[in-house]
Amino acid sequence: MEIFVSQIMTGLSIGSILLLVALGLAIIYGVTGVINLAHGEFVMLGAYAAWFLQTQFGLGLLASLVPIFLLLALFGWLIEALVIRHLYDRPLDTILATWGIGVMAQQAIRLTAGGELRYVQMPKSLSQSVNILGATDSAYRLFILFLSLGLFALTWGIYRYTSFGLKLRAITQNRAVASSFGINAGRLYRTTFAYGAGMAGLAGALVSPLKSVSPEMGTTYVVDAFMVVVLGGTQSLMGTLASSGILGELSGYLAFYSNDTIAKALVLLAIVVLIRFRPQGLFTARVRA
Amino acid sequence: MSNQGNNRVPEQIQEKGIAVFRPELRENKELERFRVSVKNGNALARTKTEIALYAAVCLAILLVPVFLQDAFLLNKYARYLVFGMLAVSLSLSWGYAGILNLGQAMTFGIGSYCMAMMLKLKTVPVHTGADGLPDFMVWNNVTELPWFWTPFYSPLFGVLAGILLPACVAALLGWFVFKGRVTGVYAAIITLAAMVVVQLVIIDQQAFTGGFNGITDLGQFDIAGITFDAYGSSSYYLVAICLTVTLFLALAITKSKTGLIVQAIRDEEDRVRFFGYDVALYKIFIFSVSAAIAGLAGMLYTIVMEFASPTFLGVPLSLSVVIWVAVGGRQSLLGAMLGALIVTGVQGALSESETFLDTWTLIMGLLFVLVVLFLPQGIAGAFASLARRFERQRPAPARKPVQHTEPVPNGREIESTR
Repeated sequence: MEIFVSQIMTGLSIGSILLLVALGLAIIYGVTGVINLAHGEFVMLGAYAAWFLQTQFGLGLLASLVPIFLLLALFGWLIEALVIRHLYDRPLDTILATWGIGVMAQQAIRLTAGGELRYVQMPKSLSQSVNILGATDSAYRLFILFLSLGLFALTWGIYRYTSFGLKLRAITQNRAVASSFGINAGRLYRTTFAYGAGMAGLAGALVSPLKSVSPEMGTTYVVDAFMVVVLGGTQSLMGTLASSGILGELSGYLAFYSNDTIAKALVLLAIVVLIRFRPQGLFTARVRA
Repeated sequence: MSNQGNNRVPEQIQEKGIAVFRPELRENKELERFRVSVKNGNALARTKTEIALYAAVCLAILLVPVFLQDAFLLNKYARYLVFGMLAVSLSLSWGYAGILNLGQAMTFGIGSYCMAMMLKLKTVPVHTGADGLPDFMVWNNVTELPWFWTPFYSPLFGVLAGILLPACVAALLGWFVFKGRVTGVYAAIITLAAMVVVQLVIIDQQAFTGGFNGITDLGQFDIAGITFDAYGSSSYYLVAICLTVTLFLALAITKSKTGLIVQAIRDEEDRVRFFGYDVALYKIFIFSVSAAIAGLAGMLYTIVMEFASPTFLGVPLSLSVVIWVAVGGRQSLLGAMLGALIVTGVQGALSESETFLDTWTLIMGLLFVLVVLFLPQGIAGAFASLARRFERQRPAPARKPVQHTEPVPNGREIESTR
């Protein structure tokens, strides 16, 4: 029972981090159709921002979340305005351009902050562990779980209940018709990109106490997050939620019972097969394009 | 007529504007020009110029060892040439068929491992005594040679496997992907994922593949009595000759009917399908040819580097190839190759100093983004359009009436179909 619960909790913890990272990617991809390969670097920049604010200004992790979100959102806004904006009709080139941006971000960090590992302090109030049904789990991981669910709910709420979200949905369904009704697609795309980047920054800041912070940390996240988006379907936020849960539990399970490398290879193979046979994702109903 | 002409002025300005700001129309303009130049009988002349240009570059490459005796430099240049060959292979699938293969290093790595396995078996008696097992297998307590290693005792099999195995793997992957009509971004992601899977398996099966360390301590490749020392002009010539042959072979393919259909598929896949061509089959063909070239490049790389490593199948190398090809110009085989030579050459020159190399990576990222934004056809594309502008200035009177008799404003036509 204890092992079972702790296994579930490990899976949930991995899943919540996946959700945090994938949420931004899913929004960006779902709305603008841009595969943002620099997303992992946004996560990395968020983690470095947390480290920087902590070491230079003594700002605690919780207090720095809002500034980090704003900072990364601004960064995303700039990237969209400078580069992505010109590439909406060339989807393959967005992969290349965002990857180039990722390389630059990584290298810029390596040059300014150094290539060595950095560590971010966990908030004091969350550093003890909690007992759930006989299994112990760190309070911080639970905090991440609830915060990621909260952020998801917030995003979903924006998408569902605000006029901004309404416009977003209109654009996703048919950009030309939506534009002819006076919706400024360009501005919405930019806001979406900024929001997604901000989310990635939050994700980076939140995982920074759990993992060591390095310039390369983003690359693994972008692959995992992309798998979440593919599995969940590009048009549905609920799919993102479900698939990060599934992938989290699955990788927790596979890592526990088998060889890590082979588990990774198997998951990748599964994704390849999935793309081939169900490119719209597992959780999307067939809609008219 | 003159009245009409007056009315057309604002329209023409508008068309120009659309063509400038919307790249897909610019491409259409290029097609238009191509048609015009075919009418004038320019296509054949252009092919001749192209062949002359390719021959000149290849000759220059082949002549390098005459002037250069430094073994270390020759080895380095041979390495760049191998990268050039890899770039040619990607240009074939990305530039000509529109298949962005983010896992081009997969087939490169497979070729390289084939060669390494063959060369490893040549050294066996020296390093591990009578039972004849490669050293890393002994360290991993493997007692007998696995079945898939035994055929590599034959050099002929090794060389053939290095070319055919990548081609077969690519054909299989291509069949899986293209028969399902997976295109664009999704196809790119699948190639990337497939490569990572192969790399993970190679790393994981340490007992049979050498794992992280790869296969080191190799013998020297020899054929017809010539031994190819990695630090000698013989290896350089081998690489240069292989490069020349593949370059012209690839050029021939792109000029053949198959090559033209492949390019048509790149531009308008559905239309080619409606004409009754088996689109998937053509894509599989060009994908496999590209893989075979990459496999050959991988084999040569093993000869030049004297080892094979899982990093040869890594994401960094694979994406570097994409950069070279993008910078050089993906729709020109020669451009792609020169792109590889230039980028790796500059990188190599700067790698002497640590800080320069770091800044270089930053600059390369920036350069790459700029190329994607402003030069989608790379350096070769920029040169081609310059040459075309130059060409158009000369026989201007002959060309003009032809353009006037084209009544279809292609800008609007495209707009209505999209």
